[in-house]
Amino acid sequence: MTPVPHSVPTADRASPPPLPPRARAAHRAPTASGGRPRSRPSLRRRYARLGWLFASPALLVILGVTIFPIVFSVMMSVSHVTVLGGGFQLSGITGDNYAVLLRSDRWFHALGFTVVYTVVTVAAEVVLGTAVALVLERLTAGRSWMMALLLLPWSMITVISGELWDYIYNGVYGVLNAIVEPLLGHGVNVLGTPLLAGIAMGAADVWKTTPFVAIIVLAGLVMLPGDVTEAARMDGAGGWTIFWRIRLPLLRPTIAIAVLFRILQAFGIFDLPFVLTGGGPGDSTESLAMLGWRAMFQDLKFGPGAAVATSTAAIVLIGCLLFLKVFRSQVGNEEVGI
Amino acid sequence: MTTSTRSSRGRRRLFTGTHLAALLVALFTAAPLYWMVAGSLKSPRELGAVPPTLWPHKPTLNNYSDAFSHYGFATYLENSALVSVVSTVLVLLLGTFAGYALGRLPVRGKSNIMVVLLMISLFPTVAVAAPLYLLLRDIGWLNSYQGLILAYTAFNLPFAIWILRNYFLSIPKEMEEVAWMDGASPLRTVFSVILPQAKPGLFTAGIFTFVSCWTEFLLALTLNNSDRYRTIAVGIALFNGQFTIPYGDIFAAAIVSMLPVAILVLVFRRAVVSGLTAGAVKG
Repeated sequence: MTPVPHSVPTADRASPPPLPPRARAAHRAPTASGGRPRSRPSLRRRYARLGWLFASPALLVILGVTIFPIVFSVMMSVSHVTVLGGGFQLSGITGDNYAVLLRSDRWFHALGFTVVYTVVTVAAEVVLGTAVALVLERLTAGRSWMMALLLLPWSMITVISGELWDYIYNGVYGVLNAIVEPLLGHGVNVLGTPLLAGIAMGAADVWKTTPFVAIIVLAGLVMLPGDVTEAARMDGAGGWTIFWRIRLPLLRPTIAIAVLFRILQAFGIFDLPFVLTGGGPGDSTESLAMLGWRAMFQDLKFGPGAAVATSTAAIVLIGCLLFLKVFRSQVGNEEVGI
Repeated sequence: MTTSTRSSRGRRRLFTGTHLAALLVALFTAAPLYWMVAGSLKSPRELGAVPPTLWPHKPTLNNYSDAFSHYGFATYLENSALVSVVSTVLVLLLGTFAGYALGRLPVRGKSNIMVVLLMISLFPTVAVAAPLYLLLRDIGWLNSYQGLILAYTAFNLPFAIWILRNYFLSIPKEMEEVAWMDGASPLRTVFSVILPQAKPGLFTAGIFTFVSCWTEFLLALTLNNSDRYRTIAVGIALFNGQFTIPYGDIFAAAIVSMLPVAILVLVFRRAVVSGLTAGAVKG
């Protein structure tokens, strides 16, 4: 989407993140390569070995439980999978599973729904989240209470928020109907209407996830250099101008991260449709993750299911690679340790 | 956090637009939560009332006892607690060492490793559900604690490493250098010099991990489908009765399951908030 300017407060080890009390000490430290004389390669090698020793347990667990299954999933998606009584068998390489997808209206529909849903909800969350963050920033008293309140939906089990909104949207005794009926003259069966069901699900999602975006954006706001804004104010710039011309551009890297995180998370959405709409009415709110899971664990079609799952992951991966720059800017340059 | 020295333009009104906006945000956030609390105290008849009653007219705690007696909710609670706590401890333990190594030690290619980790933490779980299911079935770990713990540990490690590494980067080096010089062993340095300073980072990583384990649904549903090993999320999703949805029982269970996290967030709100704002994004 937007290129990320590298100058803004991203990864620069020399000036560490906002930890005022320790900042002074850190400024003295960094000489050339981390303050270590370079004339001791054996020591460096020892530290490097230690680094691998420290990192490897975690990396092995991650490798075994996430990367290996992803590879396995890819293999499954290009094989004939036969489910037997006690197990299953992979045989031969085939493109059949993907051919099934490309011939399936249901897959195209799930793909379309997931894409539209992701774009719309994330857009809403980012706009609302930024607004909430601006409010929180200006709020002097009671900010931590507000944040605590906002963290409640975020920390909620999605299944529970699904049930809650299901009750709110109920076509007979839901509170939404009680609010809407006097206005329209009739009730609405929100979850029974394809488009409305999608919107209703998005609203539930926005309610739960906006706080997350707000927190990230607030973190970015807090770190903006105050003197720039102050200078603009001296020059007579109004609040809106300052926001649009100065603060928003400076916030762009932070917002880019929030958008990226949310897009990738939203793309794998499963819990909410599972509980709130069951993918319905019909297949209208069926996400890719749900379609893949159903194919595998309800219809036991592991091959096509794996193809759905793999293609979903592939789309996410492509998204990641497209935004590689944003990821890299988060990590910073290769650093030489101790 | 911000020491905004506002120019004195008569901004010291008692109730400003900011307050109004904050009030609206609070209202929108709290209303559905209130509805859940109110619902948990209503009888089934009152839950189905048209129009709905704004507050429980005959408040009852029956739903709470039902959730425990009819639905084996205590078991689910226990399972969730066990799996989440053990996973969180493991994540913090492994993550501390990995985060320290990737932040401070001269590991070749560590920024590439960090990029890959960040990407993994955003991968859709459904992509690994089937292979993980088959793998755990082969070693007999379906419907067990250790299977889910293994999965949760692996899935939450990347983001935890990320938070911890960023935190370690912000700690000044002198102390650990002195420890090295004094001949402290690497383990000793990590435990007695680094960890005490990294408490806020550990706290943030711990909260993130715990919440994500506590709320996870897809893997719990796939890997632990027997009643004995169900977690809260799965238990509540499958609460549905034969003819009607027992909203009262669901909400009662929901509130009980939210309490630990809610208390944590409310009591430690300052730490959580500053931890999240410092840890959520790289400074």
